[in-house]
Amino acid sequence: MLTSCDISSLVIDSLCDQAGGQDVAVACFYFDFAAQKEQSPTSVLGVLLKQVVGGLDEVPGEIVRAYENQKKVIGGRGPRLSDIVGMLQTTTSKKRTFICIDALDECVAGHQAKLLGSLSQILQKSPGTRIFVTGRPHIEAEISKRLTGRVTSVSITPRRDDIISYLRARLDEDITPDAMDSSLEADILKKIPDDISEMCVWLPILGRIP
Amino acid sequence: MSQSFSNNINSLNTFNTFNAADHRPNILAWLSPLEPRLRHQDIQESRVEDIGEWLLQTEEFRSWCAGSGGDESDSAVLFCRGDPGAGKTYIR
Repeated sequence: MLTSCDISSLVIDSLCDQAGGQDVAVACFYFDFAAQKEQSPTSVLGVLLKQVVGGLDEVPGEIVRAYENQKKVIGGRGPRLSDIVGMLQTTTSKKRTFICIDALDECVAGHQAKLLGSLSQILQKSPGTRIFVTGRPHIEAEISKRLTGRVTSVSITPRRDDIISYLRARLDEDITPDAMDSSLEADILKKIPDDISEMCVWLPILGRIP
Repeated sequence: MSQSFSNNINSLNTFNTFNAADHRPNILAWLSPLEPRLRHQDIQESRVEDIGEWLLQTEEFRSWCAGSGGDESDSAVLFCRGDPGAGKTYIR
């Protein structure tokens, strides 16, 4: 109902709306357990850079040169992580950049540390860059360790309004609308959010009872 | 002789400029094989409108968004912690 993907896509859309007309870049990546192999730090940071560069009128000379150099050796080599980080440091220093990373906990642990280390290097050169990350609560310690003193954390739990929006959307999709009347609909929109709010309050407490 | 030399230089220059712009898609593809745009579109389409809007109004989000790294209290990173399926288990 309210997933980290929903939150990420909402934030990305809102940043893109704000960016319209201004000189701002928005780059995003969604991690996925099912595709861990392809999601190395180099390709993930590479795709962030790709999105920033895609919004520029011209590919920066530094990147063209790196591309030409790598094409000459062993029939064309991919970019190196250190090159990508360097290029991101340069581009994000020149243009205000928002980086959004969804479900960081779905990234392989070793890769996660490398990725966070690289983000920290980018922030050192370009402290105005904004980084948005979602993930399960257990990765917060790792994020705080790698990006010391730069992290604010918010808990994502569905609010009453979220539950109502969700129920409204589901009721709209009802394929047997004849079975629904307005008083039943009103009852659902009142009763379920109340019950869920109570469950949200009580579940953690019940969980502590031995 | 000098005429043909300068012609050659001109055609070489044209070729080089053309080359860089022409290679743009190749250079972008070289940076990374990943394409997150489709995933974003999928999620965007399945998202219920207005859901999670409250986050955009929080003090944490607003100051993260407006910050420019100028002062020491600035947080460049905003971490939203939650279960990827948070809420899904409540209503199905």
